[in-house]
Amino acid sequence: MQPKTLFFVIALVIVAFIGANSLYIVSEYQRGVSLRLGKLANADIQPGLHVKIPFVDQVRLFDARILTLDTRPERFLTVEKKSMEVDSFTKWRILDVGKYYTATNGEEQRADRLLAQRVNEGLRNQFAQRSLQEVVSGERDLLMVELVEQLNEFTKSSLGVEIIDVRVKKIDLPGTLSDAVFQRMRAEREREARELRSKGREQAEIIRADADRQKAVIEAQAYRDAELLRGEGDAKATATYADAYNKDPEFYAFQRSLTAYKSSFNSKDDIMLVDPDSDFFRYLNDATGK
Amino acid sequence: MAWNEPGGNKDKDPWGGNRGNQNDGPPDLDELFKNLQDKLNGLFGGKGGSGSGKGSEGGFNGFVIGLLIAVILVGYGLAGFGVVNEQERAVVLRLGKFHDTLGPGLRWNPRLVDQVFRVNVTKVEEWSTTQQMLTQDLNIVDISISTQFIINDARDYVLNVRDPKTSLQQAANSALRHVAGSTVMHEVLTEGREQVAIEIRSRLQSYLDNYSTGIEIVTVNVEESNPPSEVQAAFDDVIKAREDEERFKNEAQTYANGIIPEARGMAQRMIEEATAYKERVIAKADGEAQRFEFLLAEYKKSPEVTRERMYLDAVQEVMENSSKVMIDVEGGNNMLYLPLDKIVGQGASSNERSRMTNSEVSDLADQILQDLIDRGKVNTSRRSTNSRGGIR
Repeated sequence: MQPKTLFFVIALVIVAFIGANSLYIVSEYQRGVSLRLGKLANADIQPGLHVKIPFVDQVRLFDARILTLDTRPERFLTVEKKSMEVDSFTKWRILDVGKYYTATNGEEQRADRLLAQRVNEGLRNQFAQRSLQEVVSGERDLLMVELVEQLNEFTKSSLGVEIIDVRVKKIDLPGTLSDAVFQRMRAEREREARELRSKGREQAEIIRADADRQKAVIEAQAYRDAELLRGEGDAKATATYADAYNKDPEFYAFQRSLTAYKSSFNSKDDIMLVDPDSDFFRYLNDATGK
Repeated sequence: MAWNEPGGNKDKDPWGGNRGNQNDGPPDLDELFKNLQDKLNGLFGGKGGSGSGKGSEGGFNGFVIGLLIAVILVGYGLAGFGVVNEQERAVVLRLGKFHDTLGPGLRWNPRLVDQVFRVNVTKVEEWSTTQQMLTQDLNIVDISISTQFIINDARDYVLNVRDPKTSLQQAANSALRHVAGSTVMHEVLTEGREQVAIEIRSRLQSYLDNYSTGIEIVTVNVEESNPPSEVQAAFDDVIKAREDEERFKNEAQTYANGIIPEARGMAQRMIEEATAYKERVIAKADGEAQRFEFLLAEYKKSPEVTRERMYLDAVQEVMENSSKVMIDVEGGNNMLYLPLDKIVGQGASSNERSRMTNSEVSDLADQILQDLIDRGKVNTSRRSTNSRGGIR
């Protein structure tokens, strides 16, 4: 290759190099600042193709999308001095690019640190005014809205950053507190179990007692009816006897007594002292019975 | 000094190559190439390079470079082609600025000028998580949810939020906790699950819309919600207690179902027995009364004789069967010695033969048998629910 061609190629490369350094593209999801010799020249470069003076101008580009600050869980105290570990995240985005650059030198980590400090402080205050119950359930939204407002007052003016949202991802109770909750849950369950079993036994007793009662009633009524029947029988029998025996009461007495004597004295163990003068022996002493 | 100024600078023109008279007598072929090269140079060299008809090696080099450039251009053009398939959309930034969202089909986006992001807008993705959290009544539960989502706005998805999927996960965790924290444990564990899922979905969607992530939540499901393992035993015991409650009631009902029919049976028997007694007594009375009346009728026919006969029969029987001591009390001594125990003993020993009737024997046998059964010495197959069984 001839030297002139070489020059040509080298010159081409140099021009390309310079060209590359004088053009830059800012994407739709970015914003930027340009610095001339260290000082801010353009504080908010919009998306598109732009020209700069190579080597003299320096352009810093930042992510203009909504970014997430996800800090480590922090320990907070409620108004009742109950401690818990809270893991939250913050959604933020750059609002004023120039201010942002000034405050953080364009380092996102620095921005994260500054924000995290403020967010944690804000959360701490919010938690300290509320009870555990309120934090967990009732006022979550309110808590967040207040917090975001407060944070924005500071971040917009000092950092050029807008806080979109602060949300709690996780609340962890320390061991002692969660143990206490478990204990309470167990106790509540035990109470419920006991109640159920007692109710069951109570119902069972009622059923049994009612059955016993019914049994007693049935038996009593049956006994009564049986006695009535027996009574009727006895009455009828007595009437029958009376009717018959009244036809000749004396004869009845006679005949009945004889039967009684026969069955009363029917064993050799019975001893009778007999008087020979009795009517039975009248023929014993005298053939004519006198 | 410009390249194309009249004067001696022509040969310093790098674009046009050396136009100096350095080479003599170029071949005709070279002439052809030179013309071609001149034309190319005309395209690129601008003001310079036209008009010079002198071919040179530099011209040859210029031609090669021109060809190279042409090849690069064509390659560059071809490289800009692409296809957006049915499930995707392509978000195009031209020179940084948002240009368009392209639908399915062929597209051409020159490299370096256009930045293309391809986003799948039809695939339904899923994410699930299991977490432990506090409910409204400060109880702890374990909940598993799964959520299905789809990207419905490609531009928002690409341009508004950094890492939208992670944002979704964080927002979901937060929504889950918020909703669980506003519901009592009993609801969370049982009937309220669906309501919880609905609320999580709407809350999550509102968060995502607040950030304009371009993600749409298709469904949220509560897969599981359980008490934490530390208290699972106590919860299980409640279930057992419910079962116990039923069991107690059932046992009592069984008892009742057994005892009342038994009582009714017993009652029936009592009535039957009483009726039997009544019948028996009445029949006996009828019988005896009738017997008496017969006897009476006969007696009336000849009373004295009958009376005498009956009397003597009776007394005879009495005398026969008992021990007698005849005492003449009137004419006797005032003191009389009667060894009664000796008399009784003699009387009993002289009548040792048993005087039992058949029914008395069988009664005795029954009693012995019952006694042996009670002592467990004899097995009897005679079993009946009737307690006054068949031993009669």
